[in-house]
Amino acid sequence: MNRLISIFYWFSLGAVLCFITLPLIVVVAASLSPTSAVTLQPWEWTGRWYADLWSSRWLDPFLASVKIATVVAAISGVLGLFAAYAVVYERIPGSDALMSCLLSPLSVPQIVKGVAVVLFLSMIGLQGFLGTPALIAAHVVLALPFVTRMVATSLANFDANLDRAAQVLGASKLQRIRLVVLPMIKPGVLSGVTFAFIISFNNIPLSVFLVRPGDSTLPITVINYLEYSLDPVLAAVNVASMAFILAVIFLFEKIGGFSAQLHGGSK
Amino acid sequence: MNALDIELVSVSKSYASMAVVRDIDLAIPQGEFVSILGPSGCGKTTTLNMIAGFTAPSRGDIRIKGRSQVRVPPERRNIGLVFQNYALFPHMTVTENVAFGLKMKGVRREEAETTVKSALRSVHLEGMGKRYPRELSGGQQQRVALARAIAPRPSVLLLDEPLSNLDLKLREAMRIELKDIQQQLGMTFVYVTHDQEEAMAMSDRVVVMWQGAIAQEGQPAALYREPNSRFVADFIGKSNILAVASTATQAAHLELAVGDGLMLKARKTELSAAIRYCSIRPESIAVLPSGVGGNGFANLLNATVRRVVNLGAAFEIDADLGSDVRLHVLLRATRASVPPSVGDAIRLGIEDADIQPLSA
Repeated sequence: MNRLISIFYWFSLGAVLCFITLPLIVVVAASLSPTSAVTLQPWEWTGRWYADLWSSRWLDPFLASVKIATVVAAISGVLGLFAAYAVVYERIPGSDALMSCLLSPLSVPQIVKGVAVVLFLSMIGLQGFLGTPALIAAHVVLALPFVTRMVATSLANFDANLDRAAQVLGASKLQRIRLVVLPMIKPGVLSGVTFAFIISFNNIPLSVFLVRPGDSTLPITVINYLEYSLDPVLAAVNVASMAFILAVIFLFEKIGGFSAQLHGGSK
Repeated sequence: MNALDIELVSVSKSYASMAVVRDIDLAIPQGEFVSILGPSGCGKTTTLNMIAGFTAPSRGDIRIKGRSQVRVPPERRNIGLVFQNYALFPHMTVTENVAFGLKMKGVRREEAETTVKSALRSVHLEGMGKRYPRELSGGQQQRVALARAIAPRPSVLLLDEPLSNLDLKLREAMRIELKDIQQQLGMTFVYVTHDQEEAMAMSDRVVVMWQGAIAQEGQPAALYREPNSRFVADFIGKSNILAVASTATQAAHLELAVGDGLMLKARKTELSAAIRYCSIRPESIAVLPSGVGGNGFANLLNATVRRVVNLGAAFEIDADLGSDVRLHVLLRATRASVPPSVGDAIRLGIEDADIQPLSA
């Protein structure tokens, strides 16, 4: 019986891992394809498609996406921290209602949100905000529930006795927040910020309504390119942005992100 | 008489219409080790939180060193607090934890370093300063918590069941150590616990709380010897509590009728209310062989052994006195003492002073 469970365990683990990684491997293989058709030829490969990435056609949208994602991560990080602090820690009146409100963007389809933002901006005569400002604002709305949720979870796990201990030792409220609360919830904040960055960097359904011609984000540029041609450059772009995201995750992990969050407590 | 460190003046706390703490009056002189003892829900933790300042009393006044603290927030009360779960800052080293209070007070760096070292020395944790709390055992963590609380030299140290997460052996060792540290520092300790042994072992004075009020306070030995209520007699140590049907005052004794017409002779006492119970400690009852001696006892009672439980250091004997009265008797296990067997007829000797009449 145990043997059967063990076999089932390893089989399902393997299946899940294959399901997740095989498509990625296919993309990597396709990006090395020697012909301009996207094919899989493991015995022949070339790196020439990657050289194209340095052209402004791909580099500019990439930089635009990085810029937007960075600003979105920063803004939603700060706002999410404040919101979670007020709702979970201070338990201000109407906390539960406020939390539902903060999480409500999750329940609206992104396409609806995109259309709504465009209509709203044109209604109040601010079409000029389309492009980067509108993208940042919309992405913040999208990312905020995730950040708030993550910070709220780590605040909920925070032992209130630590705060009391610091208080009887003479720490004022600001000192307690700075010296005890923030260091303790840092992993939660950092993973929230990482999520915000990735959500913004990869977003298509919302961004597609808000970009301006000639000032596009990377995923939108990929979609537009895909309409006219399908060649290994796209695979190379995807591999590169995947590598970039992994690097970002690794970076945040290094400064005390996910694993500390998973293993409880920080250094 | 020393100066008073803490005074509670008819302090009450109620939530909605629920009275959690009712009219507590307590004066704690400087340097005293006071335990607040009671079962869970008796209001002892609420009392501690009111002294610390986390909870505001509904009525009454709390003074520390003569000054009313009701409007003073916890961070300005200059008290120390040791928690049951230690509450060490996990992201700080032992040294940083202990130095935290000094840093908040703005103590100079060199001075703080010396103080931290001496605080760690007094809890026997020299050389552990660079470790993180998670690298320490439970006992060591509790020592760090103690060092952290005493380092800023608070006027009082409050301890909230600090030993209850430790295993028995360590708990017993820490009791002695805590008492030593308290005496070395000459600091006032207010120790909250539900463990009567702990309270008895360490305290100069024990305050027994029940249902939000003080049931009795006094030195541990006095509380044990002369409980004033059934609750205290039962809560502190083990005791035989018998219902008293009627009393009669004789020339030399007070006669208490217990069970189905059994008369016990107790020492004369003055109680304001009618006697309703009496308490007899199991170890104060002497077991005598049938028919011989025992003339020194005011009460000599025939009994039958119903059960004998070997506790190692002693035997617990369940003795049936007839008349619907049963007593638990503790017989110390010595080389000479041979425990009776079940069914044996024995005689029990009880001195009049060992029968404590209770009015509630």
